[in-house]
Amino acid sequence: MSVESKTAPLVWVEAEDPREHLLLDPRPPEEMNQMIMDAMHRTGPGFWTLVIVTGALILIGLVGAWGYQILKGMGVAGIRRPVYWGVYIANFVFWIGISHSGTFVSAILRVFKAEFRRPITRASEMMTSFALIVAGMYPLIHLGRTWRFYWMVPYPNQRQLWPNFHSPLEWDMMAIFTYLIGSTLYLYLPLIPDMAMARDRSTGWRYKLYRVLALGWRGSEPEWHHLKSAINIFAFAIIPVMFSVHTIVSWDFGMTMKTGWHSSIFGPYFVTGAIFSGVSAVATVLLIVRKAMKLEYFLRPEHFDSIGKLILIFSFAWTYFFFADYLTEWYGGESVGKELITLQARGPVAPLWYLMLTTNILIPWLTLWSRKVRRSFWGLMLVTLGVNVGMYIERYIIVTGFLTRNRLPFDWGMYNPSIVEILISIGSLSTFIFLYAVVSRLIPLVPVWEVQEGQVTHTLRRVGRALVPSVAELE
Amino acid sequence: MSQKVLMALFTEVTPVADMLDELRNRGIDDKDMTVLSGMPYPARVLGRPMVWEKLPVIAISGAVVGFLIGVFLNAGTPLLYPIHVGGQPLVPIPPSAVITYEFTMMGLIVSTFLGVLWESTFPSFGPKRYHPRITDGRIGILFRCSERRADEFRALLEAHGAEEIVEPEERTL
Repeated sequence: MSVESKTAPLVWVEAEDPREHLLLDPRPPEEMNQMIMDAMHRTGPGFWTLVIVTGALILIGLVGAWGYQILKGMGVAGIRRPVYWGVYIANFVFWIGISHSGTFVSAILRVFKAEFRRPITRASEMMTSFALIVAGMYPLIHLGRTWRFYWMVPYPNQRQLWPNFHSPLEWDMMAIFTYLIGSTLYLYLPLIPDMAMARDRSTGWRYKLYRVLALGWRGSEPEWHHLKSAINIFAFAIIPVMFSVHTIVSWDFGMTMKTGWHSSIFGPYFVTGAIFSGVSAVATVLLIVRKAMKLEYFLRPEHFDSIGKLILIFSFAWTYFFFADYLTEWYGGESVGKELITLQARGPVAPLWYLMLTTNILIPWLTLWSRKVRRSFWGLMLVTLGVNVGMYIERYIIVTGFLTRNRLPFDWGMYNPSIVEILISIGSLSTFIFLYAVVSRLIPLVPVWEVQEGQVTHTLRRVGRALVPSVAELE
Repeated sequence: MSQKVLMALFTEVTPVADMLDELRNRGIDDKDMTVLSGMPYPARVLGRPMVWEKLPVIAISGAVVGFLIGVFLNAGTPLLYPIHVGGQPLVPIPPSAVITYEFTMMGLIVSTFLGVLWESTFPSFGPKRYHPRITDGRIGILFRCSERRADEFRALLEAHGAEEIVEPEERTL
């Protein structure tokens, strides 16, 4: 009897082709460099329309409306007794939250060696720096007498008065400065080799710009060694700074004796919300950038799939903190707390509150478990935009809504933002979009060397009859 | 004895590591060789001596300076210009911890950045030997040898698969 020998074919462990994975689909480095350079030079009518429109909105909002407020005083804003913190502070908290995107995606995923981070780190780090710039404007806007800002800066002066370093507002300023400096340097350091790449392929003013920013980089062993060490130190150092920034922002509220604000859970609750909205914003921006700059080779469905999973996890975490905070207030039965709960469930802010629960909990939970939704442009775009609408509402309710109810019922009131506040808010959003659009054409939005490094370390390895992705640890 | 500088470009890292061994065996000192690349290869991948790293020391020193500044601002300024606020002591420890922490981290971050610049002698735009194809993924070995042995090394580099061998001029970057 003859035995027929049959050999089963080697199979790939996942459903799709391994070349769907960026790190298993290498292309020649010169081709990748050219793709990035082409993306930086891609400025069609859509780009110029965006730049002109956002530029005009910046002029209207930040020059016109803010200038008007400086000229006329804070009376032109909608804040009045009992709501002294209005939309400016809500915007401040929101933009600080968005700034958590870069650090989370870049630093935390780098520390945990999550390989899908490689092409998306810079795009998210840029969001951090620009979001912080926008957030940093709001204390100045809210200050009213903006020119008195320097009183917050510690220096010996003839007033013989130093800032109160034990005040949460001073902590805020120091934390934001630290985070802005840290995140900007953290954006710049991994950019140096890519600046050298751009320098080697540019002429004219671009060459001059990249030459200066590349600092004379050649890619020698000591240069790489020092750079990698510094990036590692930064990755570990920036994470606790990120946590401290939003925790301190939450303490602006938590350190007061105001019902609804005076809560020890506010720190982690704010940080979780910040990462939730920040990562969602990263997804929104990456979806737009991928289409607008034709970066389909670098930004693939696998990346959106992973980000979608992160958003779902942070939706769970945010819901946990939200419920823990809500239940404590509800169970306590304190009279002002009960009023705040009624305000949200049946009062004037109820439509916003239910919309927030829908976009932050219901929609992500019903959709993001699906791989199809996580990998679809419109699916993920709508969910992530919804999350940021929800997170903005959350901040708006915490800041302005909670101030409408206090221990003295004769002093209750409602808050509606004035047109000046709305225009300034639109101007600041435009500032973020404008900066992002312009700078994305000036610096490589994808860290090419990090992608190339990942492609060198990733291979397919045979395990039995299956081919499985395998990562080599060069470090 | 006159010296020559040669640069060989390779597409793969393994022949580079082999070539470095070969150069070492033929009397070229490690300090006379430099590897240039478009992505980082650790020293042990190339079989090169480890680079002594001062960066962690610089970073920790910066953190200590930041900590001391934080302590001064928290404790020194209220003692110099006392203002009693909210029933708190002049130098309360829990609120002081926040600013001290922020200054410590600021010191750590800024000193790490300055440390990289210092260690890598950046910025340095002066004349250097370089090849633009390095950022196109080529790995370059740059080394110094005596002029009379240059042909021997050229042949060796070709035998190891060097894609291009040049005598690079110094140019401003």
